Amino acid sequence: MAFREQVGTLREFFPAWTALALFACVGASGQTANQSTFSSGVAPILSKNCTQCHGEAPGMANLDLRSREAALKGGQHGPAIVPGDAGASRLYRHITGQEQPKMPMGGSLTDQQISVIKDWIERGAEWNPAIKLDAPASAASEQPAAAENKFTDQQRRYWAFQKVVKPGIPEVKRRDQVHNSIDSFIVAKLDAKNLKLNSRADKITLIRRAYADLIGLPPSPEEAQAFVAENSADAFEKVVDRLLASPQYGERWGRHWLDLARYADSAGFKADENRPNVWRYRDYVIQSFNEDKPYDRFVREQIAGDELYPDNAAAKIATGFDRLWPDESNLANPILRRQEILNDITDTVGSVFLGMTYACARCHDHKFDPILQKDYYRLQAFFANIRNDDRASLLAGQEAVAYREQLTAWENQTREIRAKMQEILGPVRMERTKEGIGMFPKEAQDAVFTPPEQRTAMQWQMYYRSASRLPSDADLEKALKGEAKQRYADLKKEIAKFDALKPADPPIAEAMIDGSRNAPATFVLSKGVWDAPVDEVQPGFLSILYPANSRIVSPEGLNSTGRRSALAKWLTDPGNPLTARVMVNRIWQDHFGNGIVGSSSDFGVMGERPANPQLLDYLAATFVENGWSMKKMHRLIMLSNTYQQSSSNQPEAAEVDPDNKLLWRYNRHRLEGEVIRDSMLLASGQLNLKMGGPGVFPPLPEGVSRKGSKYLSWTTEKDPAEANRRSVYVYVKRNLRYPMFEAFDFPDTHESCSRRYATVSPTQPLVMMNDALVRTWSLELASRVLNDAGLSPEQQVERAFRIVLTRAPKDEERRAVLDFLTQQSAEIGRRLAANDTVAIPETLPDGMQPARAAAFVDFCQALLNSNEFVYVN
Amino acid sequence: MEFDHYPRACTRRDFFTRAGSGLAGIALAQMLHENGLQAATTTADPLAPKPPHLTPKAKSIIWLFIEGGPSHIDLFDPKPKLMELAGQPLPESMRPKFTAMPGTSKNGMMPSKRSFKQYGQSGIWVSDWYPNIAQHVDDMTVIRSCWTDGINHLGSVTEMNSGSILSGRPSLGAWVNYGLGSANRNLPSFVVMLDDKDPIGGAKQWSAGFLPASYQGTQFRQGDTPLINLKPPDGMSDFEQRNELALLKRLNEIWSADKQEDYELDARIRSYELAYKMQSAAPEAVDLTKESEETRRLYGLDEEETRAFGTNCLFARRLVERGVRFIELYSGSGSGWDAHDNVEQNHSKWCKASDKPIAGLLTDLKARGMLEDTLVVWGGEFGRTPFNEKGLGRDHNPWGFTIWMAGGGVKKGQYIGSTDEIGMHAQEAPAHVNDIHASMLYALGLDHLRVTYMHNGRAERPTVVAGQVIPQLFA
Repeated sequence: MAFREQVGTLREFFPAWTALALFACVGASGQTANQSTFSSGVAPILSKNCTQCHGEAPGMANLDLRSREAALKGGQHGPAIVPGDAGASRLYRHITGQEQPKMPMGGSLTDQQISVIKDWIERGAEWNPAIKLDAPASAASEQPAAAENKFTDQQRRYWAFQKVVKPGIPEVKRRDQVHNSIDSFIVAKLDAKNLKLNSRADKITLIRRAYADLIGLPPSPEEAQAFVAENSADAFEKVVDRLLASPQYGERWGRHWLDLARYADSAGFKADENRPNVWRYRDYVIQSFNEDKPYDRFVREQIAGDELYPDNAAAKIATGFDRLWPDESNLANPILRRQEILNDITDTVGSVFLGMTYACARCHDHKFDPILQKDYYRLQAFFANIRNDDRASLLAGQEAVAYREQLTAWENQTREIRAKMQEILGPVRMERTKEGIGMFPKEAQDAVFTPPEQRTAMQWQMYYRSASRLPSDADLEKALKGEAKQRYADLKKEIAKFDALKPADPPIAEAMIDGSRNAPATFVLSKGVWDAPVDEVQPGFLSILYPANSRIVSPEGLNSTGRRSALAKWLTDPGNPLTARVMVNRIWQDHFGNGIVGSSSDFGVMGERPANPQLLDYLAATFVENGWSMKKMHRLIMLSNTYQQSSSNQPEAAEVDPDNKLLWRYNRHRLEGEVIRDSMLLASGQLNLKMGGPGVFPPLPEGVSRKGSKYLSWTTEKDPAEANRRSVYVYVKRNLRYPMFEAFDFPDTHESCSRRYATVSPTQPLVMMNDALVRTWSLELASRVLNDAGLSPEQQVERAFRIVLTRAPKDEERRAVLDFLTQQSAEIGRRLAANDTVAIPETLPDGMQPARAAAFVDFCQALLNSNEFVYVN
Repeated sequence: MEFDHYPRACTRRDFFTRAGSGLAGIALAQMLHENGLQAATTTADPLAPKPPHLTPKAKSIIWLFIEGGPSHIDLFDPKPKLMELAGQPLPESMRPKFTAMPGTSKNGMMPSKRSFKQYGQSGIWVSDWYPNIAQHVDDMTVIRSCWTDGINHLGSVTEMNSGSILSGRPSLGAWVNYGLGSANRNLPSFVVMLDDKDPIGGAKQWSAGFLPASYQGTQFRQGDTPLINLKPPDGMSDFEQRNELALLKRLNEIWSADKQEDYELDARIRSYELAYKMQSAAPEAVDLTKESEETRRLYGLDEEETRAFGTNCLFARRLVERGVRFIELYSGSGSGWDAHDNVEQNHSKWCKASDKPIAGLLTDLKARGMLEDTLVVWGGEFGRTPFNEKGLGRDHNPWGFTIWMAGGGVKKGQYIGSTDEIGMHAQEAPAHVNDIHASMLYALGLDHLRVTYMHNGRAERPTVVAGQVIPQLFA
């Protein structure tokens, strides 16, 4: 019994090419278009446009269009064909757009094709069962030229692959709604549906929105008051500029990028090893946003900073992007381990920079997008020679020279001693190495034992992926016995005498570099299986855009292939149709909660269509014109009426456009866990704005961490100020997401996350009501308010509202709170009288009843829990 | 404090109109996508109950995860041939074998030191390590032909939970949460319990992977606070907390007055009511004081060796009674059953710890009429080798091993499949992990091909690219 389907059999590949060849023969029988038979007319249309998705189970919408029975049975929405009645047939209704989505996805049939289908259904939908609609062929096994010819015109015309051409600003009817060019594009679309933008949000809403959006913190009551009081036309513009210039901006927007980069401070898998210097990459991202580093430069640094800017420390750190793969250091096969790492990088680069789901093409030609399986490995080939450099020195220029000189001096002085030490370790090393890699396949073992000067590029690759299983000197020292142990100890003492000569360790980054100037060959892997190489490929881009191999030039004077430089240049070429579109869409998404293309890492056929293609292109073109400046893009967006409109409902508009794709209102959305935590810390007066450095460990809820547990180890900060740093600095442990963030949908970090979920679950209130930290912050907030001198009970309530919600309470809110305080303090008073434990702020103003103060803590906690606090409105 | 079910939108359009932003709807849009799971019952609540694809055979699954690799050869799959081959190397045809511990496949065969007997009407073989469980063979299907892909613990435990040796995919329980929603909103619907250390890989083993976090498993701990953050903060009485929640609700309602179209805000108000109920429902679910002395003894709570696992088994029954759908309890969590050095020593301890509790669970479920709609699954991430390691131990065997299932509509008292004559490879009717998963989902009324979730452009499913319901498994 063979239960397992074959993985990625031929059935899964592109449309039915062999079938098409057959149709071509049959089609020569002289039928006119409207009288075409099933085989000459209908079958080619179905197989070319439909059965790729509506074929082998589970077909999309559970619809299978490969046989008459299946088509009559239909999918989840009902039968696809009603013989004799095209108008009642879903197939016809979808290809004509009478039903949404219009089919085929991402294109449309010609009028003639539609009429062939209509005619065929009307005549009874006769079907020739002899013709198979699912006999496709694999591109990988075909000649390259043939593979490139596989693309249909429809695929070539697909919107995302067209060069960006800056569209003209459209004319609009409601000119009063337009403040800048963005509004023209939005209002033009709204005009067409007879809709309009909401009016401007009130000033308090607007400043809270801008703060949350740009720095992830609420404004202080004073900042908000100043904005409300200022009547100049550019008041909001000034706020935006101030926030963009604030260092907290990089922390907020850097976090969006870290989601994409699958950033974590640990390696994942079993050991989940600490990556002690990877935080420099996080700081690099924050710094880059703060500097408004041009996006093209930002991309180039991350893909090939080591090759393109070899003397630049930031560029070296930037290559950490490629170094963030989850890793199983204990994997028993270094070749497989290398392949997993390469797959991670290929998937990540494809989705982050190109907005394409390359990963599908790992095992077979992409089912829906024109990405050949070959293209997956062409992209992978740019990374074929990488290795991690986990001790990349960040010294540059004179400092680097001085360090090198001093180290050489130390090396010269200690050469003999070190040689003697190695001599002692030699035999143990051999023994331990054999033990460490004994489980490896033979070729990998051979690679390790091959003398370095004789290793091929692939052997070096195996060696690098074996290094974690090779013994260190310290490991070997522990294995020494008797006289050898003694001699070694003596030599250690001797070498220690030269410590004064040894330079201090330089600052280091966990970076990625090429292993040498020549890369090992890259192969298409059959079904994506690491040990099933098929055809060799060279580095190259998406065949549909650029079928030739990439031109690679090894950089002068560097031990590097130059492959990644070629990729970086292609990605950031202003002519690349994807890079700028993908990034402006991400910026748009993080301002509006929704991209112009909703699926921000999938611009393919299965992703969403742009809600406003002209606007997307206008922004992409403008982005490049403005030197890829992200801050200019934020300004452009935030100064539009579209951004500044209120989130109020317009029932008529909701009828027409329920998903608000046209943006007739601002999308209210929940804040991320990090922003909620930072905002609570700020309100309580506890937030520590210190920037940068290694990850910090704030306290965990009771019961999460366990001593001696390797998965749950967490060394909580002793210094509360460190624990109260901004959330972006909280250590990201792959196997233990920080619970407060996890409850609010912090991403998994095993792969790139382009858009966070915003779920609502009872875990969230458990954190917000019961977590000891939230309770402490409520107490601190209460203490802060109550100790603001000279406040009446009404004023205390108002002050708390102003700190947390940036506004004064309404009458009914004030009444509700005062009633609550009276009732709650009575209850607490009873418990205090009975000597029960109650949380009371430490210092209270004169005359403040402890029970009343404790009740005020509860009120503050309720405010921090309120919808208004955790939503951007 | 009373609360209603989540308000239901009638149509997708209605839902989105009220939900407001697309961001709120992202998970929901995914759920709606093409899998036909549901359209009319869409709510703002990701765990709202959803109809199954097929008539379910079971309401809940109790998965006894025997972590570390129990030796099928010493428990359910006797191999007399090994007596004959004792000390001899693996047949040439099976070598070289890439084993977890280098070179163990060169070691000699090691016959089992256990004595086996046939039990019940079915005559199913069980070793003397499991005398109590053996009494239940007539309720079981024993699948002796399981196989998996990883040779190491992490990969195989990850695969047994998520269908793939690589990290990052949703665990089976998360898929069930996604596919069926919750039957009791006052408790988590996918519960995990440990008896010792963390399982290998830690909390990742019950992660929701690329599904929204609401679907992930929740660890229940022994003691009076089974969930983290379950108790009101120190120094706050229940009355005060309710008072505070009432104030919160009032403030939220005032803010929502002109935002009536926004379902998500309502959902968030209601999530507080759910959380509040959970504070009492969860401790109640694990409060064993109401259980009779007899029941406690049945599960081995009166003995030191069986208390930890027995307690979890009893929790499991109580959770099933309360509508929890998917309960995974680890025996020997943290590779406990990993008998590299000495099978006798290692398995004696863990068999003792689990035999009576599991038998007690089966007895109890049956007595209460619950076994019929509860699927109990016993098994580890792989089995162990017929050749020895270090003289008395056995190495990992992913090529052939045994699991059994009982209740939940599986056929009673039968074998499926076999291994070769030394227990090395699955031979007849090999059942891959993906097949096991497809079958478990089937028991709950889910077609593994239709539990799909669009992720990175692919309709991902629990069984990745394979899997088939094991033929002959269900009655």
